[in-house]
Amino acid sequence: MTSTLPVEATETATGRTTETAPAQLSPAPSPPGPVAGTAQRRLDKRQLLIRPVVRFRTSRADLLLCAALLLVIMTVQGWNIQHYPTLSDDEGTYLAQAWAVQQGEGLAHYTYWYDHPPLGWLQIAALTWLPSLIAPESMTVGTMRFAMLLVSAASAVLLYVLARRLWLPRWAAGLAMALFGLSPLSVVLQREIFLDNIAVMWMLLAFCLAASPNRHLWHHFAAGLAAAVGVLTKETMLIVLPAVLVTMWRHGHADTRKFAVTGAITACALIGLSYPLFALLKGELLPGDGHVSLWDGVTYQMSRPGSGFLLDPGSGSHGVFQSWLYYDRVLLFGGVAGALLLLLTVRWSVTARALAGPALAVAILTAVALRPSGYLPAMYVIQGLPFLALMLAGGAASVTHALLRRGRRPDERRGLTAVRWTALAVLVAASVAYVAPRWYDGNRTALTADANAPYRAAVSWMATEVPDPAGTRVLVDDAMWLDLVHAGYRPGLGAIWFYKADLDPAVTKTMPGGWRDIDYVVASPTVRRDAADLPRVRDALTHSTAVAVFGDGEDRVEIRRTTDATGDER
Amino acid sequence: MVTSVFIAAVSLALFWMAAFTLWWQMHAWRTPETLAATRFDRPDGGPARSFSLLLPARHEQAVLEHTIERLLESSHSRFEIIVIVGHDDPETAEVAERAAARDPARVRVVVDTHLSKNKPKALNTALPHCNGEVVGVFDAEDQVHPELLTHVDHAFRSTGADVVQGGVQLINFHSSWYSLRNCLEYFFWFRSRLHLHAQKGFIPLGGNTVFVRTDVLRDAGGWDPDCLAEDCDLGVRLSSSGKKVVVAYDSDMVTREETPGSLMSLLKQRTRWNQGFLQVYRKNDWRQLPTPGQRLLARYTLMTPFFQAITGVVIPLNVAIALFLDVPVGIAFITFLPAVTALVTFVFELVGLHDFGRQYGLKVRLTHYLKLVVGGPFYQVLLAGAAVRAVWREQRGRRDWELTSHVGAHLTGDSRDNRDSRDSRDTREDVHA
Repeated sequence: MTSTLPVEATETATGRTTETAPAQLSPAPSPPGPVAGTAQRRLDKRQLLIRPVVRFRTSRADLLLCAALLLVIMTVQGWNIQHYPTLSDDEGTYLAQAWAVQQGEGLAHYTYWYDHPPLGWLQIAALTWLPSLIAPESMTVGTMRFAMLLVSAASAVLLYVLARRLWLPRWAAGLAMALFGLSPLSVVLQREIFLDNIAVMWMLLAFCLAASPNRHLWHHFAAGLAAAVGVLTKETMLIVLPAVLVTMWRHGHADTRKFAVTGAITACALIGLSYPLFALLKGELLPGDGHVSLWDGVTYQMSRPGSGFLLDPGSGSHGVFQSWLYYDRVLLFGGVAGALLLLLTVRWSVTARALAGPALAVAILTAVALRPSGYLPAMYVIQGLPFLALMLAGGAASVTHALLRRGRRPDERRGLTAVRWTALAVLVAASVAYVAPRWYDGNRTALTADANAPYRAAVSWMATEVPDPAGTRVLVDDAMWLDLVHAGYRPGLGAIWFYKADLDPAVTKTMPGGWRDIDYVVASPTVRRDAADLPRVRDALTHSTAVAVFGDGEDRVEIRRTTDATGDER
Repeated sequence: MVTSVFIAAVSLALFWMAAFTLWWQMHAWRTPETLAATRFDRPDGGPARSFSLLLPARHEQAVLEHTIERLLESSHSRFEIIVIVGHDDPETAEVAERAAARDPARVRVVVDTHLSKNKPKALNTALPHCNGEVVGVFDAEDQVHPELLTHVDHAFRSTGADVVQGGVQLINFHSSWYSLRNCLEYFFWFRSRLHLHAQKGFIPLGGNTVFVRTDVLRDAGGWDPDCLAEDCDLGVRLSSSGKKVVVAYDSDMVTREETPGSLMSLLKQRTRWNQGFLQVYRKNDWRQLPTPGQRLLARYTLMTPFFQAITGVVIPLNVAIALFLDVPVGIAFITFLPAVTALVTFVFELVGLHDFGRQYGLKVRLTHYLKLVVGGPFYQVLLAGAAVRAVWREQRGRRDWELTSHVGAHLTGDSRDNRDSRDSRDTREDVHA
């Protein structure tokens, strides 16, 4: 039996040590010459224990609250998930590439061109691997949205844990989780197979590890790893990294901080560098003749045409912003306001200091969204959702604390206490009255609407009405592509992602006759919208007639069959 | 295919080795609480144990006097100093006798009459003369802090330990590129890794600032006179038989030492330790350890010098394979794992150097950080060389202390002073890092 010197640190394991007065500094009864340095160090040992520590896994109340909330969130997010919202082109892209991975065809069934790091759909491939083995035809966007429930669940629980690790009271942690999981904006976006959702999960894990109550070196190291995985899942997460660092810095201890923080940064950088290393190993790091390259991919992403200023009513960014507000204003405005409140009160509020990291994340994300010009995709808001929720909950905790506790004396008159509680009750009632009807409406739509009936009908038509799927070439939007593959169309050159007909040399060279080498176009709203910039797709649309139309107005899905020069159907 | 599998297997093995070594090296900084626990507790002034401090000295007349004087300044009330000198070393004996004459109550001299001399024999010679309840070992050039004994005393009393190992630290990091790395090795070993060994119940002790209860030491039969790493051996024997070992490190209370004076003497010193580790491994005392985990740790720790030698060669080879041979991308990634771990270790070493500077109030400059990085691979070569040399010597049955041959040589040869200083340095550096 051997051991290091025991220290009075053992009580950390038992949890809450609320001692506020550090060990006395008064001279001890004449020990044989303890130098001042030793006394100081003795003091340090005690100081390690001052913070209260939340032990999530052994706290029954936390577990129960979290489980109950999770059940509600899963029900709301899972119910009707395959019918609402409308299938998105991007979902189809990622799931199809995950399918290609499962089929052993590499990272995509078309040439992988470094549009995004592949880690995101590698994870989707892993998540959907088992169901796709059992029922291969289940590998379609609508069905596989259920896999995203796992991601949402993990994110929601991690957010709760994070809130507790940042010393929010239990109710506020629950509030953050509920806001994050039940806002109509979250419900719509988290249902979709977006890389951002997976990246958010990794980032939340990174935050949780950075705020680890053990302040363990390898937890911080793992935080760096998780953050890097988050970035490699969706590269836009890069801008949130400083917020992870701030959290880690605040939660570290002066004695071990430099090791922990350096370790985390190293871990993050090394994992991040694996992406360029991957390109290097494939000989695709730098541009060259006859191959894609990471350099070109990055250049493309950086040079995407801007969508204007968020607050300029005519801009694309404004449109995206409006679409977010359509689903929920509370989380967006409330979250940003909460972040402002916390950042302004950092000097006085303990809560504000504890939440400095996530507040910084909101600040950075808001600043980037407000840059005068730049590309703002609709899913941009996803990476802000957990932090907005945390800000709103933190703001609520801060306000509640101010209302109930600020300036309170032990002998406070009962009348004044009653006034405090009444004010709080009014505030809560007003908030609920404002939020509840809006969220009820938003979520009712999410739980009942069927936005994808035209897609299903179109797929079913293509599966049954076309005589020889294997010999037919169809331009189709990514969201329906896998359905057609399951229906017997050849993946890649039979069922064709419509834009590949113009943009991928490997595909265009199989179409010497241009639109004449195409038999059908499944013209979904996405196809019609993007055709403006794609000559070959545009030609195919003009030289074709609708043989079946599902739905009406802007959202209709047409199946168009190409006609030859004389106007006859081919 | 076969190549790929082979490369992957080698890479993964190396990765796990490097990862575990790193994990252990960083033990003390795991949590602030772990770090706090590595320090000495403040003494509470309870009843004192008596100490016998052994001070083997050989051709060290220049430093011995100062060391004894400093030891005598100790704040502890009950201790004796036993200086061990060789019968063939009148200069050192004279210094020792002088000190004993000045303070006969606390300083004694024991003469070692062995024909071939080494440190364990000297220590064994003095063991029967020890009157204290605890035996402590120092080297003749050690700078010992006056508060150390009091703290060690308290550690014995408060933990019920059989053995207390204090910190030893090389300080002269600015002397040369290898002394920089050497200092840092000590820093990581005594500041961090040794505490893990104490916690796991298997510990190779250091050569000085080590304190053992006299009865425990006598029961164990003292030091092994034939082992080249008698300190490591003692630690392994004591901890394997279940004795409680406690390690404590305080930067203001470590025993300060200097690195070997030349690259060659560092190589020889390291060869001797490695050979000593091999001998300890082959003595099989560690097999008495109760749990398989402990035995694995023992096996791994005693073989570390040789693993180190292999890793140093294979990691660059691996990276070259990944870059220049046509292996699948996944396999190529795996071959990078050991290099990545080595890189993380490098980064932690840089931070360690910074911390070392802060702890000891030393100014670490940018050039030192650069030296640390650039010197890394060369130091690795040195370690590999020492490992190979140790195996070769052990195979050839050359189990003598390398310095004894020098002793023989300088009795007849000239340029004696020069050799003396180098030899004595060899005898002094008896701490394993």
